[in-house]
Amino acid sequence: MTDMSIAWSEDYACGLNSGARGLAGLLRPVKAEALAAPAAEPAWTASGDRPLIELRKVSKSFGPVIALDNLEATILPGELVTVVGPSGCGKSTLFNILAGLEEPDPGNILRFRGKSSAASELLGQVSFMPQRDLLLPWRNVIDNAILALEIEGMPRAQARAEALKMLPEFGLSGFEAQYPNQLSGGMRQRVALMRTFLFKRDLMLLDEPFGALDALTRTMMQRWLLDVWQKHRRTVLFITHDVDEAIFLGDRVLVMTARPGKVKLEQKIDLPRPRKADIVTSPEFVGLKKTLLDAIEEESMKSFMTSGH
Amino acid sequence: MSTVAASSNARRIGRGFAGAFLLAAIWELSVRGFNLPTYVLPSVSSILAGMVADAGKLAAAARFTAAEALTGYLLGCVIGIAAAVGVSMVPRTRSAVMSVATAINSVPVVAYSPLVLLWLGIGMTSKIVMVAVAVSFTVFLSTVAGLDRVDRKSIDLVRSFGAGRMAVLWRLRLPTALPLIIAGMRVSTVRSVIVAIVTEMLGAYGGLGWVIYQAVLQIDFVQVWAAIIVASAISLCFFGVISFIEQRYIFWR
Repeated sequence: MTDMSIAWSEDYACGLNSGARGLAGLLRPVKAEALAAPAAEPAWTASGDRPLIELRKVSKSFGPVIALDNLEATILPGELVTVVGPSGCGKSTLFNILAGLEEPDPGNILRFRGKSSAASELLGQVSFMPQRDLLLPWRNVIDNAILALEIEGMPRAQARAEALKMLPEFGLSGFEAQYPNQLSGGMRQRVALMRTFLFKRDLMLLDEPFGALDALTRTMMQRWLLDVWQKHRRTVLFITHDVDEAIFLGDRVLVMTARPGKVKLEQKIDLPRPRKADIVTSPEFVGLKKTLLDAIEEESMKSFMTSGH
Repeated sequence: MSTVAASSNARRIGRGFAGAFLLAAIWELSVRGFNLPTYVLPSVSSILAGMVADAGKLAAAARFTAAEALTGYLLGCVIGIAAAVGVSMVPRTRSAVMSVATAINSVPVVAYSPLVLLWLGIGMTSKIVMVAVAVSFTVFLSTVAGLDRVDRKSIDLVRSFGAGRMAVLWRLRLPTALPLIIAGMRVSTVRSVIVAIVTEMLGAYGGLGWVIYQAVLQIDFVQVWAAIIVASAISLCFFGVISFIEQRYIFWR
């Protein structure tokens, strides 16, 4: 466990020192931006952007089981929205719908960039990262990272060149020729994230990407994700079990109800960015955490009672 | 890592030769010690002498058999893999094809040899077809099993990148199935030589099976053994080549 995190911080440091694309370079423009907009009001509200994704009355049942029930949610361009909820609350079903893998029940409204769409039209439009890294064992790091680009039809050489440039940022320099079975859990996860990032789509869906990592590696990965997100400005929907993670990362947190899932609480997170690790002890953070935990506690009890375990 | 694998390979091959040598020594000593008649068991030295004396004839027969086995093998692999891919792409055909395949495969394929000889004559074609049938069933069943191993979530992931059915097959299903496909191909190597020889014994113009059959008629047991040893050498080489390819390219297993 500690070995892995040490290895991680070492190559994290390598990334920092490796020049133009290092994280130190990434942080500077972000700070400048934060100073320029001291109101902590995200840019999109001012410019009045239309939502990237709008879900109205989205339900999904599998036989007698109702996974989602009239779920409503809106995601604006450039936002990082986190989703928390008790286990089995239909979070993954929501993601499968947004990734275009499953159709919601009839009667829903799903608008993508303001246009009414069927879920299947979202196939190939959204970059999706499932819970497990699902790296292909016969492909090395670089070839796993370019999988989506290859499927898009980009020539391999070009895709590899593009991915090679991104390696330092993902703390994977020097590992391009390694195979997944030679990597630690944290590194595998970063390869999977890199694959997701290289598939350049407006919406990124991350399904508990750090769930299987130890606590130390996880906090490192969270900070790193924020850096990368602030640089690339993608819209991110991030599922997690961890309330701290949800607050630390998110512009907004959606708390889902126990099954059938819908949005129980939508909490705006006004903590200033860039967020430092010690923000988790600030009174604002603790206050938000209490609100969210209360809501989740109520739902967890419900799902605990109904599932009868 | 690869040098470690190479040296352990070398050690394994060394042990194999040591075992063969030990067997030959015990064989030679017991034939001499118990004074066994040739028709029961000829001595290793007399078999080796026979192999040298009949070298030309055995080499020609070996080439004949190897050509049949290899052609049938390649044909069988292609047919087996193609059929498995077809069945997995059109799931509705699956249960029909699988039950027929299992039924045919439940009897040793050589049981069909007399019929195939009747239909296709005693030339090379009948042997090639028999080998192809034997190999294609084994490869078909292992390929189907391999293609089934693909994880639903991986398919979903690749689909979310916009992959169609062909891209899923090419980039995900076939590579996932590859370890089992090769395992089926490895087992089939030995099978292909056996089937070729057995079919030759039932009627042929040449080949090791034909040599064995003729030698039995002439009560020349030294030659029977010589042909058997050549046949097992071919089998082992064939098996070794495919095992080598397997180890070299299926490194992630």
